[in-house]
Amino acid sequence: MLEAQSLTKIYQGVPALDNLNLLIPGGEVFCLLGPNGAGKTTTVNLFLNFVQPTSGVARVCGIDSAASPLLARQQLAYIPETVMLYGNLTGLENLDYFSTLSTGRRHPRQALLALLREAGLQEEAPLRRVSGYSKGMRQKVGVAIALAKSAKALLLDEPTSGLDPLAANEFARLVESLRQRGMAVLMVTHDLFLAKQCGNRVGIMQQGRLVALFDTCDTDHVGLERAYLEISRQTVAA
Amino acid sequence: MNSSVVEIGTGSVVAAGRWCVVRTIAAKECLDIYRDSRVRWLAVLALLLMVCGLLFGIDQVQSSARDQAAAAQGDRQLWVGQGNKDPHAAAHFGQYAFKPQSPLALADPGVDAYLGTAVWLEAHKQNEVQFRPARDSGIAARLGNVSLAVILQTVVPLLVILLGFATFTGERERGTLRQLLSLGVAPLDLLLGKGLAMAGVLLVFMLPTLVGIVVGTLLSVDGAGADQWARLLWLALAYMLYLGGFVLLALAVSAFFSTSRAALVVLLGFWLCNSFLVPRLMTDWVRISQPLPTALAFQEAVAADKKKDFGHDEGHPAFAAFRDGVLRQYGVTRVEDLPVNFRGLALRKSDEIGYAIYDRHFGALQTRYEHQDQWRAVPGMVFPFLAIQPFSMGMAGTDSRSHAHFSHAAEQYRRHLQTVISSDLTENSRYGDVGYVAGPELWGRMSGFIYSLPQSGWALSAQIGNLISLVIWSGGVALLALLAVRRLRPV
Repeated sequence: MLEAQSLTKIYQGVPALDNLNLLIPGGEVFCLLGPNGAGKTTTVNLFLNFVQPTSGVARVCGIDSAASPLLARQQLAYIPETVMLYGNLTGLENLDYFSTLSTGRRHPRQALLALLREAGLQEEAPLRRVSGYSKGMRQKVGVAIALAKSAKALLLDEPTSGLDPLAANEFARLVESLRQRGMAVLMVTHDLFLAKQCGNRVGIMQQGRLVALFDTCDTDHVGLERAYLEISRQTVAA
Repeated sequence: MNSSVVEIGTGSVVAAGRWCVVRTIAAKECLDIYRDSRVRWLAVLALLLMVCGLLFGIDQVQSSARDQAAAAQGDRQLWVGQGNKDPHAAAHFGQYAFKPQSPLALADPGVDAYLGTAVWLEAHKQNEVQFRPARDSGIAARLGNVSLAVILQTVVPLLVILLGFATFTGERERGTLRQLLSLGVAPLDLLLGKGLAMAGVLLVFMLPTLVGIVVGTLLSVDGAGADQWARLLWLALAYMLYLGGFVLLALAVSAFFSTSRAALVVLLGFWLCNSFLVPRLMTDWVRISQPLPTALAFQEAVAADKKKDFGHDEGHPAFAAFRDGVLRQYGVTRVEDLPVNFRGLALRKSDEIGYAIYDRHFGALQTRYEHQDQWRAVPGMVFPFLAIQPFSMGMAGTDSRSHAHFSHAAEQYRRHLQTVISSDLTENSRYGDVGYVAGPELWGRMSGFIYSLPQSGWALSAQIGNLISLVIWSGGVALLALLAVRRLRPV
């Protein structure tokens, strides 16, 4: 579902992503770990074609995202670190707007409310303006938008950053339910526990390169943490 | 989180859903604008200004029509009631021809206030139109007289800019553009949706004014009423192109620049250039490159040519030549032996010489005016104020060409009067018959001056260039907007 083939991005001679090869099939959660500047968000941006690759290909469901960005994006759902919504609109109106734009048709109000409930938004919240929402509530609307789209692949860019442990745990459960639906999930995160909890595989990036790959069934939290810290130290030393 | 599963999406936007997408974007934008109190206040102010401009225009047109009707009636009574007198003395007595105001002057008074409203029709002389309302206005009145056209041409584009400068940059700055683009929305749909919303909001704010124009036109419609609607439709089309271009420009600039501040600065700079700087520069440039004669020089040139005309001067060589020709034609040796009054023939001949002189001088002046207008409008496809301003005045019937049409009609009427009077003198009296007088029967036989506004086709024929400029302007910015949204990136 999500595939990177020799994917490279160079900014002014400095590689932000260097020859990434990755295949995430449907029903798998792949977590990308790495220090700041390792190339995790660049990878997400390349799948979304928010930046053009220097070389290589990023494919979404077999669609080259650089050649057919609109088609590729239509197969994707995306939840950034902070889901930015229209403050003047309510949560329900935001969901109505984004879901219509992503599917090309309006959805019944009850279905939208059900999605917001499924995403964990409190009962009274959908009819309030988003300007009064907490970050966690915004992330939940973001999840509802992704659910409404019924996309085949999901890109998560540090989705639990700033969330309290309870909300982060709820989020992890939701990701698991999306994986069970057959979605291919690429999650960029700094949270080792979340990566271990949600991911089927975990990759660690360093200076634009995927330098380590773990199967979460074969690795515990401690092993993952040790590897991550080692790579981070190497980055600082370099 | 709730464990129940809700499936509503399809994962892709099919072509049939694109209109739904466009409509949704437009509806959301409208809601956003409606909920923004700053925009509401701004729009209310612009609306108030437009309504004031329109009411002022309606009042101007109606009071002008009333004043002219009263003055024309009084002048006609003076003409018909002048009693028995020598017909040529009646020609010198003269009368006024009043320029009726175009019904659409309520929207665009154009140059009416500066070119005069009445012309004095007298023997031997083609006068310029006089009684300029602007001359009678104090400085406060001049500053306060903001017409609806000026508001539409300068204030409404500013409103469009303030509505639209942050359309895309705002999304980028808030971070919603990333969310929006990740959905796979086509850039063209975004452009259409946001453009439709801005155009729709603009239309709603302008609706009361549009209704006011229609009602005002209905109230002041005369015999040429049907044609006024054609003019109104052309005006509506031109303003749609003009303001639609500003909507697209705001969107293009907002999509092109990364910050709202940069977009606003660029758009305000363009607005200043379009509304004030470039028109001023072009006006000065055509004034220098296509200079007009001063009023004194013009009068002196006419007077120099008029010396070729004998007028009442029987010692003029041209007079003697004409007299000899007439005597030869009738086969007599003395003017007293002619079967017609030679004085009438001489007056008519003198008038005909004068007509050619006036036609040449006034024609050259009008041609120079038209050249100036054409050169001034050249940058109209980039700075559309230079195209919409003359188009608006032209179709409202308040430009200098419409004024020249009136002057020409009044002059034709003057010539008709002179011909009737000279013919009466020629046929009903003899040379030296100083006691001959005509009476009210002759004055009444000469119907008053009735002026019909030229047809919309006539007005449009001179405005094709400006219309093409407006089409190029709106098409050009549409292309710019399309290019700008195609390269839209959230980062």
